[in-house]
Amino acid sequence: MVRSPVILLLLSCAAASLPASAEDGQWTMPAKDYAATRYSGLAQINAQNARSLHPLWTFSTGVLAGHEGQPLVVGETMYVVTPWPNVLYAFDLRKEGHPLRWKYRPDVSANALGVACCDAVNRGAFYADGRIVYNLLDGHTVAVDARSGRELWKTAIADLGNGETVTMAPLVVGDRVIVGASGGEFGIYGWLKALDLKTGNIAWTAHNLGPDRDMLASAGTFRPLYDGGVDVGAKSWAGDSWKTGGAPVWGWISYDPELDLIYYGTGNAAPYDAEVRVGDNKWSASVLARRPATGELVWAYQFTPHDNWDYDATGAMVLVDLTIAGKPVKALVHFDKNGFAYTLDRATGKVLVAAQFAPVNWAKSVDLATGRPVIDPARQTGVSKGKVMGVCPSLEGGVSPTSPPAYSPRTHLFYTSTNNLCMDYGAMHAAHLRATPYVGVDWAYHAGPGGHLGAFIAWDATTGTKAWENKESYPSWSGALVTAGDVAFYGTLDGWFKAVDARSGAVLSKFKVGSGVVGNPIAYRGPDGKEYVAIYAGIGGDWSLIAGDTRSDDPTDVREPADFMKDIARHTSQGGIVWIFGL
Amino acid sequence: MSGWRGTLLLLLSCAVLCSCARTAAPPAAAGSAAPPAVAYEAHVAAGGIAPAGGVLNNPHAGDAAVAKAGEELFHAMNCDGCHNLGAGGWVGPNLGDGRWRYGGADAEVFSSIYYGRPKGMPAFGGVLGAAGVWTLVTYLRSLPVPSNVPTESWEQP
Repeated sequence: MVRSPVILLLLSCAAASLPASAEDGQWTMPAKDYAATRYSGLAQINAQNARSLHPLWTFSTGVLAGHEGQPLVVGETMYVVTPWPNVLYAFDLRKEGHPLRWKYRPDVSANALGVACCDAVNRGAFYADGRIVYNLLDGHTVAVDARSGRELWKTAIADLGNGETVTMAPLVVGDRVIVGASGGEFGIYGWLKALDLKTGNIAWTAHNLGPDRDMLASAGTFRPLYDGGVDVGAKSWAGDSWKTGGAPVWGWISYDPELDLIYYGTGNAAPYDAEVRVGDNKWSASVLARRPATGELVWAYQFTPHDNWDYDATGAMVLVDLTIAGKPVKALVHFDKNGFAYTLDRATGKVLVAAQFAPVNWAKSVDLATGRPVIDPARQTGVSKGKVMGVCPSLEGGVSPTSPPAYSPRTHLFYTSTNNLCMDYGAMHAAHLRATPYVGVDWAYHAGPGGHLGAFIAWDATTGTKAWENKESYPSWSGALVTAGDVAFYGTLDGWFKAVDARSGAVLSKFKVGSGVVGNPIAYRGPDGKEYVAIYAGIGGDWSLIAGDTRSDDPTDVREPADFMKDIARHTSQGGIVWIFGL
Repeated sequence: MSGWRGTLLLLLSCAVLCSCARTAAPPAAAGSAAPPAVAYEAHVAAGGIAPAGGVLNNPHAGDAAVAKAGEELFHAMNCDGCHNLGAGGWVGPNLGDGRWRYGGADAEVFSSIYYGRPKGMPAFGGVLGAAGVWTLVTYLRSLPVPSNVPTESWEQP
């Protein structure tokens, strides 16, 4: 742990030199900006001309796993990270056909394939100071020279033998590279680490649960608004169950330079049988706010106390300034797997709005005075309760954290994919055996009200209401993009890439991109001055597991279709493709 | 957590008592009865000459009671966390479709579980011993193989 004033000084300088809000046409970090808005100020493609969008270029990545995440565009180069084996491609956008400038092929252990819970995905890279920084599935972070493709450093951050893999996209703040590990299904002791951007050396490690010392929480600076107390991260777990309690970091991190806080969500509590870990299980299924220089915990809020439905809170924390009831608010907006969309005060963690954006019945509402959900006892799960029927949302979430939202300062609306799925959940005993899954659940999914399985919605976070909704036949698993042309973009699980009117949801154009979309669209200005939109095709993540018949890669592995979605494999199979669209 | 451990120990001691399986796996010499230390993955022999290796026989082949114990062990050892309840496939492949990445003979399935495999299949030989592994093999080999595996059709017949 480092508390050097020099570093604080460096960081404040870095904050002062952050990219201005003026649109530079690039996409240099996973969510476009530190606030995680996925909003592009480009407006050449607009609601009037988007009907003529068409594909201009494609590239097969040669990899079949789920293509989550998004490309980066820095200057005249596009960078693409594939799922395992985590190849990094650098395309020259100046030249016809966008030939590669170079590709970087790290030596990544195949053993990681058996430790990653839910497909060998990667959620993207971050550009900072001439370096492309990203994570390898087998527990390493690498920095690669953006010009030459030369490896600058490679640091072991996670331990496969302990059930840790790394799928998330790092966030770089000043000289800190912030990373975390997956492993909520392996009973890891979840953490966040900061590496030095220049050397890759680990600067600090902060656990997401456990005693204050491990969490870098001190009485003077850690001020959770609702639930506090010394060592609450350990005392809110039965016995020493916090030691294998999960709370991984596999989603997104955002940063407010003014408050100098990073925000990230933690995943599910482990194991899935919550009866062996009686208590709130803090800080699983929570948002944590920390100082990037030191890792110091400043506040935390738990969306789902005593998670017993696998409701990870690793979805994006979007930082926007809103006006609520006539008052300006520095807000943090989060669409949680638990089906509630939250608008918080990002300085304190106070809950301002919490409303259902997808079917919810595990809780009736969120009590704004206590910040706690008003639970329906009939939907509590555990081994002693047998199979609990009809819980909404399913453990895929009201939205998957994989599918980040976008926010337009022009429409003042959020855009997000959603799932319309409920589940039967039967918790089972699970044994903690290092490097094997620590799960224990027998589940089944079924469609929520209406019978469709997903949707793409526009959301007003000041009131907690839906502005419009496009129903989709399948669970909607792509991220969202919205532009100053008032066009929103997303992809569907059956392989359509869609451009819709950001104000009405009307579909302006759609194109079948060769495989289901679980990645996130970006917009950029090419070297020719024109606006382009890029997206990955490549079904995967949970869907190559649940709908195992979408796979065709292994002749020794033939699977049944998903019983709630028998025909998805009629419309898509695996295959990673990068697409660029333009007018 | 103690519940499953008790069951597991009971299963294991039972399996050990009734098993005559080998636990050691020294490097194979030509004509030796011992299996190779590292199981080979190819199933086509160059020149038509198979490498020498020991023969492993499942002491419980076809024993329904051991298969049942193996089903419980499949859950207790978290096999279902990767291969799904019923072994229908998740991150790890379907083990009930009659198709095998590393061979489906009892001895080949034994090697896969005992030594592990390169795409993330852990080696369970250390924690289970040969007796426990044979119990799992007996369960997996008892799964009914569906008859129409190759074709999935969305057309009305």
